[in-house]
Amino acid sequence: MRISDLIKMGLRNLSRRKARTGLTVLGVIIGTISIVIMVSIGIGMNNSFDKQFMENGAMTVIRIEQYGSIIDDEGNWLGSKEQVLDDNLVDMVRQVDHVKAVAPVLDTSAMLYSGKYETYISLRAIGHEAFAEFGYPELISGAYPTAENNRSVVIPSYVLENYFYNPNSRNYETVAIDPKEDELIFKFNEWRYVRNERKKEFKLDLTNVAIMEESDNWEHNSYVYFDMDYYKEIYTQYANTLKLEDRKKAMAELDTYSYIMINVDNIKNVTQVQEDIEALGYVTYSEMQYLEPLKQTSDMLQMVLGAIGALAMMVSAINIANTMVMSIYERTKEIGIMKVLGCLVKDVKKLFLFEAAMIGLLGGIVGIALSYLASFAINKYGGPLFQTLMQSSGVYDVGDAKFSVIPFWLPFLASGFAMLIGVLAGYFPARRATKISAIEAMKTDS
Amino acid sequence: MGVEPKKIIEVKNVRKIYRMGNEKIYAVDDISFDIYEGEFCCLLGSSGSGKSTLLNLMAGIEKLTSGQIIMKGQPIHKMNETRLARFRQKYLGFVFQSYNLIGTMTALENVELPLVFKRTPKKKRKTMAKEMLVKVGLKNRLQHKPKEMSGGQQQRVGIARAFVAKPSIVFADEPTGNLDTKTTMEVMNLIREIARDNHQTIVMVTHDQSLAEYADRVIRILDGKVQSIETIKEETNVEEENNGVVGDTADSNCVN
Ligand SMILES: Nc1ncnc2c1ncn2[C@@H]1O[C@H](COP(=O)(O)OP(=O)(O)O)[C@@H](O)[C@H]1O
Ligand SMILES: [Mg+2]
Repeated sequence: MRISDLIKMGLRNLSRRKARTGLTVLGVIIGTISIVIMVSIGIGMNNSFDKQFMENGAMTVIRIEQYGSIIDDEGNWLGSKEQVLDDNLVDMVRQVDHVKAVAPVLDTSAMLYSGKYETYISLRAIGHEAFAEFGYPELISGAYPTAENNRSVVIPSYVLENYFYNPNSRNYETVAIDPKEDELIFKFNEWRYVRNERKKEFKLDLTNVAIMEESDNWEHNSYVYFDMDYYKEIYTQYANTLKLEDRKKAMAELDTYSYIMINVDNIKNVTQVQEDIEALGYVTYSEMQYLEPLKQTSDMLQMVLGAIGALAMMVSAINIANTMVMSIYERTKEIGIMKVLGCLVKDVKKLFLFEAAMIGLLGGIVGIALSYLASFAINKYGGPLFQTLMQSSGVYDVGDAKFSVIPFWLPFLASGFAMLIGVLAGYFPARRATKISAIEAMKTDS
Repeated sequence: MGVEPKKIIEVKNVRKIYRMGNEKIYAVDDISFDIYEGEFCCLLGSSGSGKSTLLNLMAGIEKLTSGQIIMKGQPIHKMNETRLARFRQKYLGFVFQSYNLIGTMTALENVELPLVFKRTPKKKRKTMAKEMLVKVGLKNRLQHKPKEMSGGQQQRVGIARAFVAKPSIVFADEPTGNLDTKTTMEVMNLIREIARDNHQTIVMVTHDQSLAEYADRVIRILDGKVQSIETIKEETNVEEENNGVVGDTADSNCVN
C-alpha cells in the first residue's frame, strides 16, 4: 500500500468509531498534560532554586577558615576545629585540581575617625588580584587596588552612610560621611597591644578611597578592604610603634590567615575540590554543601512529580492497547477480506500501528495545547499552593518566580513521547491483527 | 487458442483433515484434477461435501494436510504469506457469497481496494475501477455505500472488485447463494461474459445443480472425493467445438 492510502484508510477507521477514538484520545490528552505540567513544575522549581542560590552566593567558592566548622551530612553544626592557615597551605591548595584562584584573607578590626565622628570597622586584607578573581561589587568611585597602585582603600557605601556616630552625643545618631569632603583617619585598635610611650601613635590619613556600591551580600557591605601587601606595610609600621614584646606578638599575626578563599573552575567540581582539601587535613566550607541536601530534596520532589505524569501516561497506553484490541475484534472479518484481496501482512501491521500512533499524536498535540493553558493558570493562580510546595524543598524566595515553565523542547518531546506510547501500545495488537487468517473472509456466518 | 489446452491449476492428491478432538474429518480426501486456462469450472456438491474447503486450498487460503497445488506453475502450498499475497495481487480474484464489501467504503473505493494493495497509481486505479463498475451496470452507484444497495447490486460490486485487477483466475464460493433466481441469472451471465471477454479462468463452488449449465466443466464432489468430471455441451458454434476437445481430455481424468 502507498503511504497516502494507508493514512487515508487509518483515519477512516479511527473516525468510524468517533466516541471510542475520542475517549482514547482524551486519555492520552490527560496523560500528556500530566507529564508536561509535572515536568514544567520541576523545571520551574529548578529555575527558582538556581535563581536563589546561584546568583547571590558565589557558588564556586570554598573557604578554609581558621576556626573551621564541622558539619554533618544534614548540615548540622557539630563543633569547630582550629587550623593553621599559612602560606605553605596556600601553596598546597593552589596545586589541587580544578582550583582557579586562591586568596588568603586577613581579618581584623580597626577604627575610622572623621572629625568628631568615629566608627569601629571590620578590616579585610586580600591580594589585589582577588578583587577580580572572586567577583566583588562595582565601585561608585575610585578603583580597586592594583599592582601599581595598591594604596587604594575600598569602603562600602553602606559603612560610610550608616556607621559613623559622635561618641560624645547622647543618642549616638549616625551620620553619612563623604570621603571627598570629609577627612578620614585610620587607626588600629588601641586596646589590643600596648604602645611604646616614646613612639608616636600610628595614624593613617586615608586619601585614596574607593567607594563600593551597596550589595545584596552582607559581607560586602560591612568590610573595609585593603590590599594584602599594603596592609602588611602599614601593619608593620604600626607594629613598630608598639612595646617590644607586643611588637613580636603583633607581627606574628601576619603569618597566619583568617581564612583562605578558593575559587573552583566549575560548580560541578566544588564537592571534589572540597574532598581533596579535606584529605589534606583541613575543614572546608562552601555554599554548595548546604545546597546539596536541599537540591536532593528538590530532585526527589521532581521525580515524584515525573512519576505521577508517567503513571498517567501508562494508563493511557493501556487505554490505547485496549482500543486497538477491540478494534481488531470488530474488524476480524475485514482484515481477512483485505488479506484475500492481496493486502500484505506488513501493510496490515502498519495500518494498525498508524492508527495507534495517530491516537497518541492527536492526544499529544491537544494535550500540549491544553498544557500551555494549564501552565498559565498555575502561574497566575497557583501561588499559595506552590509557595508551600517549593518552600518544603528549600526555595524561600519565590517572589516573581514562575511555578511552571514549559521550555521550547518540551512540546516536541511530549508529542513524540505520546506518539511513541501509541506505537508501543499498538504493537502487540497490530501483531495480533497480522495473525488473523484470510479464512475469516470465507466464513459466511455473520 | 492452441490445440493443446494449458493447465492453469493442478490439484494433486490433495488432502485436508480437520481434527475435532479425537475425531478426524476428511474434508478433502485425496483429490486430483486439473483446471485449464480460460475455462469456467464448477465444483458441484451437496452441503458439507468439502467444496469450499477445496476452493480455499486451491486459493492458498487454507493449508493442506498433504498433496500439491500448482497454480501457473508455482507451488501454492509452499508459499509464505507475503509471496501468497503478491500472488493474489497479480493473478487471483475472489467473489464471495456474502459479498464481503467494506461497509465504510463506497462502491468505487471497494472496487479500487485490490489495486490499492497492489500500489497502482491513484488516477489509473480510479479509471480502472470506474470502467469495471460501468461494465457491471452500476455507473450510477459509484458513490453508494454497500448498505444503500440491493443484494444483486452489492454482488455486482463484488464482481467488479474481483475482476478489476485483471486476474487470470477468479474464485467464487456460492456467489449467488444469497440472491433470488432472477438476480442469480444476471450475476452468473455477468461473470461468464467478463471472464470470456478476457479469457479468464473461473472456479466456482455451488450446491445448485441448475448453475452447472453456466460452466464449461463440472466437477462433482461427494464426501471430500471427486465423484465425476463432466463437460457441458452447449449449442454448437466454432468456439464450443474447440471446448469440446478440452472436455474430452478432461473426461479421461474422470474418476468414475
Ligand atoms: N474449520 C473446520 N474445522 C472442522 N471441520 C471443518 C472446518 N471447515 C469445514 N469443516 C468440515 O469439513 C467438511 C466440508 O466442509 P465445507 O468445505 O465447508 O463443505 P461445503 O462447502 O461443501 O458445504 C464439513 O464436514 C465441515 O463440517
Ligand atoms: Mg461451502
